[in-house]
Amino acid sequence: MSQNLQEQEVVFKVKRFSPEKGDWWSEYKIKVDRFTQFTEALRRIKSEQDSTLSYRASCHMAVCGSCGMKINGEPRLACKTLVLDIVKKYNNNVITIEPMDYFKPIKDLVVDWDEFYDRMFKVKPRLYPSKEVLEEKAEHRLKPEDQKELWKFAQCIWCGLCVSACPAVRIDSEFLGPAAHAKGYRFLADPRDTITDERMKILIDSSWRCTYCYQCFNVCPRDIEPVTAIKKTRSFTKNYSDKSEVAKRGEKHVEAIYDSIKQTGKLLEGMVYLKTYGLIQSLTDLIYMSKTGKLKYALVQEKNVQNINEIKKILGGEKK
Amino acid sequence: MEKIEYDAVVIGGGLAGLMSAHEIASAGYKVAVISKVFPTRSHSAAAEGGIAAYIPGNSDPNDNPDYMTYDTVKGGDYLVDQDAAELLSNKSGEIAMLLERWGALFNRQPDGRIAVRYFGGQTYPRTRFVGDKTGMALLHTLFERVSGLSVDFYNEWFALDLVTDNKRVVGLVAMPMKTMTPYFFKTKAVVIASGGMGMLYRHTTNSYINTGDGFGIALRAGAALKDPEFVQFHPTALYPSDILISEAARGEGAILKNIKGERFMAKYAPKKLDLAPRDIVSRSIITEIREGRGYPGGYVGLDLTHLGEEYIKERLALAYEAAKNFAGVDAINEPIPVRPAQHYYMGGIDVDIKGRNPDLIGLYSAGEAACVSVHGANRLGSNSLLDTLVFGQETGRTVVEFLRSNPNTPTSNYEKEAEKVVDDAYKFVKSESGVHFGEILEKLRDVMWDNVGIFRDEGGLLNAMSEINNLRDMVSKMYVTDKSKVYNTEFFNALELRNMLDLAIVIAKSALDRKESRGAHYRTDYPERDDNNWLKHTIAYLRGNTVEITYKPVKMTRWKPEPRVY
Repeated sequence: MSQNLQEQEVVFKVKRFSPEKGDWWSEYKIKVDRFTQFTEALRRIKSEQDSTLSYRASCHMAVCGSCGMKINGEPRLACKTLVLDIVKKYNNNVITIEPMDYFKPIKDLVVDWDEFYDRMFKVKPRLYPSKEVLEEKAEHRLKPEDQKELWKFAQCIWCGLCVSACPAVRIDSEFLGPAAHAKGYRFLADPRDTITDERMKILIDSSWRCTYCYQCFNVCPRDIEPVTAIKKTRSFTKNYSDKSEVAKRGEKHVEAIYDSIKQTGKLLEGMVYLKTYGLIQSLTDLIYMSKTGKLKYALVQEKNVQNINEIKKILGGEKK
Repeated sequence: MEKIEYDAVVIGGGLAGLMSAHEIASAGYKVAVISKVFPTRSHSAAAEGGIAAYIPGNSDPNDNPDYMTYDTVKGGDYLVDQDAAELLSNKSGEIAMLLERWGALFNRQPDGRIAVRYFGGQTYPRTRFVGDKTGMALLHTLFERVSGLSVDFYNEWFALDLVTDNKRVVGLVAMPMKTMTPYFFKTKAVVIASGGMGMLYRHTTNSYINTGDGFGIALRAGAALKDPEFVQFHPTALYPSDILISEAARGEGAILKNIKGERFMAKYAPKKLDLAPRDIVSRSIITEIREGRGYPGGYVGLDLTHLGEEYIKERLALAYEAAKNFAGVDAINEPIPVRPAQHYYMGGIDVDIKGRNPDLIGLYSAGEAACVSVHGANRLGSNSLLDTLVFGQETGRTVVEFLRSNPNTPTSNYEKEAEKVVDDAYKFVKSESGVHFGEILEKLRDVMWDNVGIFRDEGGLLNAMSEINNLRDMVSKMYVTDKSKVYNTEFFNALELRNMLDLAIVIAKSALDRKESRGAHYRTDYPERDDNNWLKHTIAYLRGNTVEITYKPVKMTRWKPEPRVY
């Protein structure tokens, strides 16, 4: 280990809040070294400089999910972030710390979790084993490869960073959000579970409301990839009979993309649109487009790519 | 004051508390769990290596629960109550399988059964694990299970004190951190499952929340702590952040080296080398550092480099990641910087094998907050997760028996007592100016580390007693600068400090009185174990500012003390 601790003074600008006083910013100067975690910096600020500063922190090793906050605008776990890494990344020793987006602030960096927890509990986050197993008349066996697959998604620590970064949650109240989907998929895919139909009812419609922006993928401190859980949940749609309109349209959209690429080698937006939304909706939208002068984009003629047969071969003979 | 009524109240939402609550709720009783954090943020989440379990038909064919009991008794330097250790071993398979049925994602063998690995001090391998995050996996499984029952969770509520009437628990006062309005919880039984106390020490692998609240609450209510002098230090905490580098690293072949590159454990434990028990390795590391063979800054190297990249990343993922993220060290190419840090508290609220405290009717305790005692003077790795679940369950069942045989709620004039609890809490931080909690807290952590740590002697312990008493005096000048009436963490930190000071004085006095070395309690002035005089449990009460100490015998069944050689 290098003996150079790279000690340096850093300025923390912390966004404060209290119901009595509203918003304000406080500034603290502290000396850190190359190993100082944000949680330790905050702890020192609180015990040495300003004991009124409120924040959450518990394990300081990225397994409890308490210390989510926004550091220079990025949602991060404070414990998993070293102060000097941020100084280097932004080439600036002035760092801003704010409460996570989307959640309501209660006091300083402490935010309200109630709605997040409601979403998590909506997915029935627990295994429902068979009666035989619960009565000890049978024993679970779980293949190592299934354990590996499920464990990836079971490592969600309810830290909320993905929800704070998710644009879809903000505009669509029917969307359960990335964390709840990771948790939901972990049980949906568990071969030991017995309420698969009920889980599909809870998860499938919501899974088609994700916009695949990958923000959850980017911010997750445990590399869960909630968006991957959502993709995998969508693949259950074909086994589910009671599909919502959102799910049906989602399936059509996927099929249309598949067909377009298979036929032409390209993603033809017009063709995908027509197949996803049907003729009547497409005609209505065409009228709107012609009024706004955007029709010319919809009517671009595309040629098939060369070697289209190679593409067909890759995609296989049968649909899906 | 607002009143809420329950059959039983559990303080703490970690593995032990949740398991107790599960048993009480499953029997149809009304139970509340009060936790200062959302339950999955509890320190149980930080456990890494695994949970020891003898599973019939899925263990080494030569193994049996008696070997497990023997390992535990010997590891604990014979201060273990052997009936408790037998129960722990006999129930280990059952409890691991219960968690499996509830969905715990244990690592598997190719045939789908739960896998197993070796841990320090085991005659045969019996550690069951979920990657290197076993605690997190079990905690989530249990919380998710219990959240489906009719258990009322009071998350981010702070428990202040018990209310008792003639040596019987009649309730407790707690307040939500969000609104800070005190409530009286009227109840027949209280289970304290509030975990450990690592924040008493300058260096600890514990979470920031581990401030020993349950110990302070029990002491102030007149209940005893058992064996409070026994504090475990883990030899390999990452320098400088004190994040735990699991014993599994040494289990997989990692070697401790001093700055000269010497494998110094050859000197201290020639047979077991780096896999000697935690107390021995911790003392060896500190000796190397004190004698000038540590690295500047005070640490030694944990060398994995000979294991190769693939092996390290597969078997020691968390150690690798932690070293990389938190110490900037690539363990494939250079040793991980480590030093000992406080890790576990063997002492705790005095309870019997059923989780009952003998001092107060209606008081129960489980998990790290309790001393049953199964860990004696030194806990073996993989036994703490097992302890939380087995004795969490036992305690919950005992509470159910108690509720069945005591259906009537005690009538008591609790109002005045409850008001007094709140007054005492506010009195603790009453000054308008003077010192604030940070100053006292940091001083306390240094005093405990320097004088009540890995090496102890009479001079240091007397000094600690006097320093802690000074800090207790300083508290009368302590104040809270934050006047906010919402989530005022400064106020709660101050109350945590009250609990820490009450515990600290008890630890220091008990350590001063035990004139021998046993397990984690090492006296340089009395370096030998002394079974003739000291094979007994310390029982400590706090009466005002005075620590009163008595002793009680260790329960022996089949295992006679023998020299602890590794």
